[in-house]
Amino acid sequence: MGTGHDQSETEPEVSAIGRRLAIGAEPYLYTAPVLILIVAVMLVPLSVGLSYAFRDIQLLDPYSGGFVGFDHFRELRADSNFRGALFNTLIWTGASVALQFIFGLILALLLNREFPGRRLAQALVFLPWAVPTFLVGLDWAWLFNPVVGPLPGWLFALKITHDTNNLLADPGTALIGPIVASIWWGIPFFAITNLAALQSIPKDLYEAASIDGASVFKQFRSITLPLLAPTLAITILLRTVWVATFADLIVVMTNGGPADSTQIVASYIFTVAFRRLDFGYASSIAAVLLILLFIYALAILSLRRLLVQRQS
Amino acid sequence: MLRRTLYWSSHYLLIGLYVVFALFPLFWLIKVALTPNDLLYSEGIRLWPSRTSLEHFRFVLAHSEFPLFFRNSLIVSSGTAVTVTLISGAAGYGLSRFSFRGKPLLVALMLITQMFPLVMLVAPMFRLLAPLGLTNSLTGLVIVYTAFNAPFATFLMQSFFDAIPKELEEAAMIDGATRFGAFRRIILPLTLPGIAATGGFVFTAAWSELLFALMLNSSSQATTFPVGLLSFVSKFSVDFGQMMAAGVLALIPACLFFLAVQRYLVRGLTAGAVKG
Amino acid sequence: MGRSECGHSRQFEANPLVKTALWLAATVLGLGLSPSVEAATTLKLVEVITSPERTETLKSIVKTFEEANPDVRVEITSLPWGPSFEKLATMVAAGDTPDVVEMPDVWLALYANNGALESLEPYLRTWPHTGELNQRTLQLGRAVRSTAYMLPYGFYLRALYYNKKLFAAAGVSTPPRTLDEFVAVSKKVSNLPGKYGYCLRGGAGGVNAWMMFGALANGSDVFFKADGSSTFTDAGWIKGFSTLADIYRSGFAPKDSVNWGYNDIIAGFYSGTCAMIENDPDALIAIAERMKPAEYGIAPWIKGPSGKSFPTIGYTGWSMFANGKHKNLAWKLIATLDGVPGNLVWNRRIGALPIYTAAAKDPLYADARFKAWFDELSDPDVVPMVMPVDLRAWALFASSIVPRTSQSLLLGQITATEMAQQWAQVMTKAKQSQK
Repeated sequence: MGTGHDQSETEPEVSAIGRRLAIGAEPYLYTAPVLILIVAVMLVPLSVGLSYAFRDIQLLDPYSGGFVGFDHFRELRADSNFRGALFNTLIWTGASVALQFIFGLILALLLNREFPGRRLAQALVFLPWAVPTFLVGLDWAWLFNPVVGPLPGWLFALKITHDTNNLLADPGTALIGPIVASIWWGIPFFAITNLAALQSIPKDLYEAASIDGASVFKQFRSITLPLLAPTLAITILLRTVWVATFADLIVVMTNGGPADSTQIVASYIFTVAFRRLDFGYASSIAAVLLILLFIYALAILSLRRLLVQRQS
Repeated sequence: MLRRTLYWSSHYLLIGLYVVFALFPLFWLIKVALTPNDLLYSEGIRLWPSRTSLEHFRFVLAHSEFPLFFRNSLIVSSGTAVTVTLISGAAGYGLSRFSFRGKPLLVALMLITQMFPLVMLVAPMFRLLAPLGLTNSLTGLVIVYTAFNAPFATFLMQSFFDAIPKELEEAAMIDGATRFGAFRRIILPLTLPGIAATGGFVFTAAWSELLFALMLNSSSQATTFPVGLLSFVSKFSVDFGQMMAAGVLALIPACLFFLAVQRYLVRGLTAGAVKG
Repeated sequence: MGRSECGHSRQFEANPLVKTALWLAATVLGLGLSPSVEAATTLKLVEVITSPERTETLKSIVKTFEEANPDVRVEITSLPWGPSFEKLATMVAAGDTPDVVEMPDVWLALYANNGALESLEPYLRTWPHTGELNQRTLQLGRAVRSTAYMLPYGFYLRALYYNKKLFAAAGVSTPPRTLDEFVAVSKKVSNLPGKYGYCLRGGAGGVNAWMMFGALANGSDVFFKADGSSTFTDAGWIKGFSTLADIYRSGFAPKDSVNWGYNDIIAGFYSGTCAMIENDPDALIAIAERMKPAEYGIAPWIKGPSGKSFPTIGYTGWSMFANGKHKNLAWKLIATLDGVPGNLVWNRRIGALPIYTAAAKDPLYADARFKAWFDELSDPDVVPMVMPVDLRAWALFASSIVPRTSQSLLLGQITATEMAQQWAQVMTKAKQSQK
């Protein structure tokens, strides 16, 4: 510190500029590593991947690669498989995220109070998130299998189903399997993030409200929900985006079948890319998915900004 | 009094249901792993086999390359967790404390990287990493996983830092400390639990990643355990018993790690709230 | 004064972050580097139908090669069987090609037609064992452009596995020999509570069954007319398709089986859920492990109304990549794998039918369980059916179009005629564009 002290006294102008540069550069220094890594490792392949959407890329044909403009997108518009996959994606994403969120929020509310055994309960209910998705899919496929799993028998005994057949084999009910598996796996995510947000709400707000005579539900609606809303917006956004692009559970449990009844856009992309070996067309589907998700993200973020503004 | 009893009994009932729901599939995994092959199908539906056996576990530990895959996964996941925590911690701090030109762009970029189906990135990424010698290597996986997890980790870390008032380090800086010094000495200890939680999320994400571990690496020296699980599905026999045993073994570190860090999450944010 | 001091030292303070990152990177890089083994030449061999026992056998054959060629080391990469197609395709597309690869028949057209594989003809001309190969070997190896882009190591021929215990319980004394008997037996077994007659492979890989039933009813396995248009819309094929669909719809196959793949039908068979499957000799390995010899039997595949039977014949072999740098050595490796001692050891482990005429007399094949296949091979009314795997579009047809459309048929969403028309459309286009 001593020498620095002397130097700065003899060169005030240079160090002033240097200081301003340092202050200006500070945020960039902190965010640079992430930025560089993401640009190099993700954005470069992503742009390459997106560029395939405008070219004819057949995976095993080294002579392919010619520019085809919007041909793939034209083909996509007429593709009934894509439309079916899009419809399934809406159901899959909507049901998975909504139910994960609701059950996760309820769990967070339950864990938000101190009670004996809370630490243990908390540790146990968060465990599903630690299981690899491949294993989750396999485990639940096993559970739904009438030969080796208990669920068909129980569902039949509870009169929820008409028979003990595997609901993964029926196109009308096949999507339920992966949805249930994703709910099981995803509840901890929402429980953890909501619990964290709940814990940051000052307790005296609730105390004041109950002194004023407000019921539990009214407190929830007027205190909890508004303060939770910004966090909810981000977590729901991220989770929706992940679920929409995530075909692992479906591929493991039903492989998109039977008869494409569980084929979502993400698994359709896989089929086109690695069965038809048409990377150009697959990229165009991915590009469309990207645009749809981006629009959705913009909508959520504007909603969030609205809620934050309304709060303050 | 009656209302309190009613409230708490329904509270415990619901918690109990959640615990059962969370644990039952895991119980089933363990049950299958302990069922000898000949009873696997004939006693499939029973809640517990008439005879248990450790044969699957013994096989997985002694005969397969599973211990090697386990070690590889440990290296990759820890490496990823540490790297992500470092760079996302820095970036999250930057996003929390500063508003600067390009901030919305950075946020948008990070969001976009989450929206592209990863399966389409495999081929370009392979082409990018192969000439650098980063395919068939654990380092390559760490780099890729870090890039995947950094956006979410950054947002998480940002929210942890947001919970701590800026005044804390500003007060320290007025007293003559540098920003980084204040960060290290004051802010970091407060968010240590949050950092642990982020590390936990990232560790489990890297631990269970399958697609890129499968596509980028081929030699068994660089194979991680999820890919190793696939090797139990072969044309000669699907050794579900062995696969479940391997799965159970692999769950243990992920679960332990997760158990250890998840309680910090709540504690961490409570600390921030008290200050606020 | 204090502030400028801090301003100066601020730049130094940024270093700890950088230092930590560098240290971390160095550690991780150090961990990532694997030690390399010194060898004059390294050959890369990739197997794709991986399983632990198989890899052991492969390693032992490769060891004999390494002993005969001391300064060559062979690096074996075993791809997990499930995603092996995608994985190999990604590797090859990115330029990471091995020297020798295990090549299933259904992939051959994709790689050979794109010039990725090296023609083995020049090597076969000078190989002493070429004359000992049976006629089918070279014929099938030359499926693409009449050039041997692969040397098969064995054949997979379908036969009928049946569960003797279930048959006894259902009052069936002999395995069915005709299509009508097959349906009747299925019905009888399905009358037993919780049991089914046939393990249908409704999911991945089920194309063989559809072709077999179709050809049976059709009385012919000709896939294309002279002008290259598909014969699938002929009444015979359609009758075969709808017979198979009816078996499922009448409940003679488990309801679950619409999604079933290879492992599911084998498990269904050895768990005693369904009584019959049609499969290759290598299924014997899994089944023999789980069932006692008295519990199951193997019979030749059933004959159709025309008196002929059309079990599908498939084959896998070894291919060489055209961009390999050690072609002569690669051929030597293939020659060892497919040589007379190597091939027998190999087939003993994987259960395929031999490529050498003389091998049929090997004690392995004298085993009673192989009798069904050798009976088929010597029966003039049994026509081993080769599916049009030489078409580039076959892989997509078999892996994606067939499961999707056949599942629709099984579920009653489309009729057999509609499915046949869709298939014919795809096949005609594939054949005519390949001319």
